[in-house]
Amino acid sequence: MIRKSLAALTLAAIAPLASAQTVKMCVFDVIGANGDMFNMVKDYALEMKSHGVDFDLKPYTDEGVAVGDFNAGQCDAVAATDLRTRPFNRFTGTVSAVGALPTYDDLETLLATLAQPKAAPLMKQDGYEVLGIVPAGAGYLFVNDRSMDTAGDLAGKRMATLDYQKDAIHMVNFVKATVVPSDITNFAGKFNNGSVDTAYAPAFAYEALELYKGLGEKGGIVDYPLAQLTIQVIAREGVLDDETAQAARQVAWGMYPQAMNLINKQEEAIPEEKWIRIPEKDVQGYQEMFRQNRIEMRDGLNNAPDVYNPKMLGLLSKIRCASNPSASECTSDNRE
Amino acid sequence: MMSILASHAGRLLAVRSKLTLLATVVLFAGCSANPIHKITGTVLTGYAEGEATPYVMQMSDPEMACALGEGLDPLLYSFSRINDAPDTSGSLLMLLAANCTEYEAWEAELAYLRADYAGNVPLAKDARERSKRLYAVTAERRLVAFRRAMAAYDFDPAKEPLDCPFLFNEQDEMTFLLGLLTGLQAVVNDANSGARAGIPRNIAPQAERAATCIDNEKTGGLPNAVRALVWLLLPDTRPELSPDPWTVLENSSALGVKAGMRASMALEAVAAETFGRTDVLADVIRRFAEADDTIEVWDKYRLADHVAEYIIRFSSDKYWTAEYGYRTPQAFFGKMSPERSNENVETMSLDGLL
Repeated sequence: MIRKSLAALTLAAIAPLASAQTVKMCVFDVIGANGDMFNMVKDYALEMKSHGVDFDLKPYTDEGVAVGDFNAGQCDAVAATDLRTRPFNRFTGTVSAVGALPTYDDLETLLATLAQPKAAPLMKQDGYEVLGIVPAGAGYLFVNDRSMDTAGDLAGKRMATLDYQKDAIHMVNFVKATVVPSDITNFAGKFNNGSVDTAYAPAFAYEALELYKGLGEKGGIVDYPLAQLTIQVIAREGVLDDETAQAARQVAWGMYPQAMNLINKQEEAIPEEKWIRIPEKDVQGYQEMFRQNRIEMRDGLNNAPDVYNPKMLGLLSKIRCASNPSASECTSDNRE
Repeated sequence: MMSILASHAGRLLAVRSKLTLLATVVLFAGCSANPIHKITGTVLTGYAEGEATPYVMQMSDPEMACALGEGLDPLLYSFSRINDAPDTSGSLLMLLAANCTEYEAWEAELAYLRADYAGNVPLAKDARERSKRLYAVTAERRLVAFRRAMAAYDFDPAKEPLDCPFLFNEQDEMTFLLGLLTGLQAVVNDANSGARAGIPRNIAPQAERAATCIDNEKTGGLPNAVRALVWLLLPDTRPELSPDPWTVLENSSALGVKAGMRASMALEAVAAETFGRTDVLADVIRRFAEADDTIEVWDKYRLADHVAEYIIRFSSDKYWTAEYGYRTPQAFFGKMSPERSNENVETMSLDGLL
């Protein structure tokens, strides 16, 4: 009797270890395995171990290659920016819709909403599943001349634009600036050597990529979040069962304070005098400009690329109007 | 009477000499409150630069050397309250002090990997948190060491175009170069701490530019190794027509072996880990172990070679612990698996004995 109990206890002790499932993940970080993002994914992987998943992480400094290897089956999961993961889930990929989330508070509300078990069906699309979303910081416009503080001033200016980011290309064309095709590894050099007049990037790039050199004495950073960039973990559907996948999404949501801490530090490292503050009256104008463009990119109107998911745009609109009910968009006929 | 007069005169003379001496000391000490302290500080700084630094650079015990850094740095720097800050020695002392906390952080990281291997998540989380705290302290100390090295030679790393510092002798070159390397390490430590220390990330491109001020051949290929690592991290910093960074790293490592100071190899290992190049990591560890048989360590900078050995050994330990649950056994240093290569040893027949 005692022997049977002992055997049962031993089996119970061994069981959790025996059921740990190994999942290979291709992880993008601009500076590889010693970068901030990779370290955060390590924390995520450690937490997931207690849910029986052993993530085997491989660093990539080029997210195109990371996604390519994921598509080729070399990894079961990939962690990359939503700009690259949008093809796997257009709903979550629309988080970084242009001008859609003006504040970090709105972003927090969104991510809390998506982490709920009720949101689980929205996390699956075409054989892929989202296992977590973590903020990477708002993207801001860096300009080499502070006098460029209205959308009209951007006309004719050269803008370093990621060549795979269709919505950004659309916006650059909309303000009649010139698209200078670039990628993450070379846009900073172009801005710093004067090949382009403007570039957009999260605050992280100010110091790490020395964008202050491109700003010089005359330039600045427009204090208006163009988009909220996120890192998303995508796996092939079925790699994790539904319960574990939901646990993974909660673990990622639990890392929100850590991620925001990093982003706040990076933004605080930017000297006050480098920011170009937009007057409140102009902000409303820009919000309407972005709104119209988002609608075009949702419906593919006026030659706009059809890239945004309507359900996500609707959710983002609800969040914006909950935090700012007096905004004109909240009573507009064509509200998202 | 004469003897009394003589003894009085003698005493007066002694007192007068002492007073004169004291007056001179006060004069030269600039009338500060503790002239003895000021002189002691000057002497100590001079001693640290002239004798202690060369002595420490020749030590072969990195842990004892790091303890010296932790112990001596506050003593030396306490004199900066009344003297000029002894930034050249101070940079090296703080560099050594940072090594102390880094060794503790490494042990915590190995503990995390062991617990992770064993599936003990609470233990792994505890060890990982401990390692992050220690990496943060290491990063902060390294930032101080970097800033001191820059201040010691009046060098502004942000200034462009680059204005190389005046480096009087080989010791100055080495101090400046190690200061740059320490700055780079601070960035890596900070990332591994979860960015707790807030180390400015622009140290990396600044170090790349400043490394061009040092003769590459004379310093075991270390300047080029620093540049190649930054080119990999920030492709924009890589000059046109420059060779492949991995080739530069490998060449720098070879130069390091030739010069008897394998710090470049340590950088090659860090690069391999950063970019997930297990093939390069295995190769550099193998080359490091093989060089042990042939290398003539540069006696003047023996400590740098030993610190490089610690870094390579830790890279190996991390790999072994992640794969097998324990650190590199001594007999397998240079290899990446416990498979024995002597399986084909001839054996004799036991027929007739059984």
